Amino acid sequence: MKLLLKLLILTVPISFLLMFFVLLTEDKSYPGADYDTYNFPKFELETLAGEKIFNSRIEGNDLLLNVWASWCITCRVEHPYLMKLKRQGIPILGLNYKDEREDAIEWLNKYGNPYEDNIYDYKGSLALDLGVTGAPETFLIINGQVVVHYQGEVNEMVWNEVFVPAIEGEGLF
Amino acid sequence: MIVEISHFLTILATGLFLLSGLFATFINNTEYISNLIARTYSHAFFFLIASFGLYVWLAATDNFSVLYIASHSNTNLPIFYKISSIWSAHEGSMFLWIVFLAIWGFIFNFKISQSNPLKSLTLGILSLVIVGFLLFLLLTSNPFQTILPIPPINGADINPVLQDPALVIHPPTLYLGYVGFSIPFACAIAFLIKGNSDIEWELMVQKWSIMAWIFLTIGITLGSWWAYYELGWGGYWFWDPVENVALMPWLAATAFIHSLSVSIKSKKLRVWTILLSILVFSLSLFGAFIVRSGIIDSVHSFANDPERGLYLLGFISLIIITSLILFVLRFSKIQSIERIKRFSKESFVSINNIFFGVLIFSVMLGVTYPLIYEYLFNQKISVGAPFYTAIFSPIVLLACIFLIFSVDSKWSRRLKSNLLDLPVVVSTTSSAIITLLFLYFFDINDLYMNLLIFVGFLIILRYMFEIYKLIKFRKYINPFSAIAHMALGLLLISISLNSSLSTERAMSLKIDETVKYKDLSINFQNINLSNGSNYDAIKADLLIQTTDGKSVKLSPEKRRYFTRGQITTETAIHASPIRDIYITIGDQLDDGSWVVNIQLNYLIRWIWFSAILMSFAGILLVITHKKSTFTFKKSIS
Repeated sequence: MKLLLKLLILTVPISFLLMFFVLLTEDKSYPGADYDTYNFPKFELETLAGEKIFNSRIEGNDLLLNVWASWCITCRVEHPYLMKLKRQGIPILGLNYKDEREDAIEWLNKYGNPYEDNIYDYKGSLALDLGVTGAPETFLIINGQVVVHYQGEVNEMVWNEVFVPAIEGEGLF
Repeated sequence: MIVEISHFLTILATGLFLLSGLFATFINNTEYISNLIARTYSHAFFFLIASFGLYVWLAATDNFSVLYIASHSNTNLPIFYKISSIWSAHEGSMFLWIVFLAIWGFIFNFKISQSNPLKSLTLGILSLVIVGFLLFLLLTSNPFQTILPIPPINGADINPVLQDPALVIHPPTLYLGYVGFSIPFACAIAFLIKGNSDIEWELMVQKWSIMAWIFLTIGITLGSWWAYYELGWGGYWFWDPVENVALMPWLAATAFIHSLSVSIKSKKLRVWTILLSILVFSLSLFGAFIVRSGIIDSVHSFANDPERGLYLLGFISLIIITSLILFVLRFSKIQSIERIKRFSKESFVSINNIFFGVLIFSVMLGVTYPLIYEYLFNQKISVGAPFYTAIFSPIVLLACIFLIFSVDSKWSRRLKSNLLDLPVVVSTTSSAIITLLFLYFFDINDLYMNLLIFVGFLIILRYMFEIYKLIKFRKYINPFSAIAHMALGLLLISISLNSSLSTERAMSLKIDETVKYKDLSINFQNINLSNGSNYDAIKADLLIQTTDGKSVKLSPEKRRYFTRGQITTETAIHASPIRDIYITIGDQLDDGSWVVNIQLNYLIRWIWFSAILMSFAGILLVITHKKSTFTFKKSIS
């Protein structure tokens, strides 16, 4: 009985400590990636060009949704890689986030446009529904459903580690 | 230049603390060695304090060549926020943590006489703990890093939610509590190393432990209050992981100070007391680990760095495992031969120790379960209030019932069943009547809430009788412990009523629109822009009228801070003893109306008042504490 008690006193804390060691050394290279699957939220907004855009643009489609803004420095860093993805034939939809329309259009004219269309979300309402915390963020949408939500810059490494596995599973693009 | 001096002094202090710790390993404790330890400690302490003093001065004078100060302070800040910016992030707050640890040790060094057989060893152990943390500071989180050759003209500003008087004092108070338990811990370890069960280490640390407990209680209360009015959380407790890691040491500490007084009075539960002293300090360290390793996402967590987490985990594991092995080895020596009598005061305290243990273990599970789950299934989940309520309600209830029994019980004697004793009958029936009245008038439909209200009143009334007996018949009872327990009763009642009666609603309002909510009519009068020294604000004016004609004007705000662009919510609260009207303002909707969130928080002030009353009782207990006359018989050594 006493032995059991002694063992318990030693093993319980040690197992907690070991568990924390495992948790801490776990490879968390991509803390921004979230793999919950859910339906794309309903929205009714304009594009940057001023046309109406609804859920129908997303429904049943496979695409990338990239949240960006002209004021966002990291988006500028990310931009060349998105251009490369476009050249690979990957459809990218932009979500222009809390930005001035003129600034956004000027930005695209200046650096190039990787997007098929741009949802103009001045108030950030769609971004709020999507759980966006800042720009840039990128969503992988398969058949109208969000499959990957990535916070932060997408580059070659992130693309290969975070997005490619999800895409390969579906045999897309 | 000054920052280099400050840096150098800290390194010097680290070396001296290490020496002081090494000297303590010479177990054959000659007077010469123990004087050496005491002096080395004092010198190390003075170097550390001087270093911290210089650092405070650097922060106060906007020396932005120091990277940490440049990243967390700003010339626009008032002077006390410049200073408090030191503990607004990881490096500086760790520095403060260590300074407090050293301060407790210094006072201990100063107060405890040189002839005390445990003193040198205790001081040595403390020094080694300090060295561990100083190395952590210097190697992984150096606050002395500089930006050279060209320092920025202005700093990056302190996080706006931290620009608040409560936050200037909340972390320091909490830290004082956490590290205060290093004293009983170090004493317990020294006691275990000596292995002489005649040494009464418990009496020696009682005052220190109660003081640390007071700081911890006040610190947690301040945090709760701050989250309520500054963060706009709208309640007093959220089972946030970091609240939980503060609650665990508090629960352990509460069990510890009870167990301690049993060990002092009747030489029993010594095993429990030692184990709890190790547990309290371990949990305090664990709290530091959780917050600083970035393993948990929370409002409190500092920017993370895996290296820091690993260092802390390693160091904490070293401390915990060494102390537990030592404990297991000395187990038989400290075990009391006498068995605890059934239904004696000791028996009730030991039962409640077990309950406290269960609560701590459940909180620990609640904190770690989401981590394990995320690791295994790659999904984030959170363990929230329902889990904790389901565990805390029954266990707290049971613990309180044992507390009530313990009021009548005696040390080392069986409780005589005197169920028909007048105070028992009167307090039980009146508590039952009050509870039924509450049930009738407020329609409280949760069984546990009703039971907790009943037990709360029972505790208060039972102790009132005891205080009456103390005044009238000079029956011995510690009046401050009675006050602390009555505060517990009050806490239970306020928590139960708060959770049963409070309501909230989010509504959208246009200017000049009036809506009714409960007994209130809310008129949205105006919205306007205003400017602070370092932020823009949108301020809404709402006129709130109750049915009896009283009206108050509340102006909730949303602020956007220039330097970081962060948006904060400033709540508007109309406080009264019965209830708070608590209003926050949200976004503007497309039709021009604003989202206004209103909460009616009943008796929430009483929750903090109870906690403060507990701490106050603790303070009185410390002040009136008998001079801890250290009764160690020379002949035994």
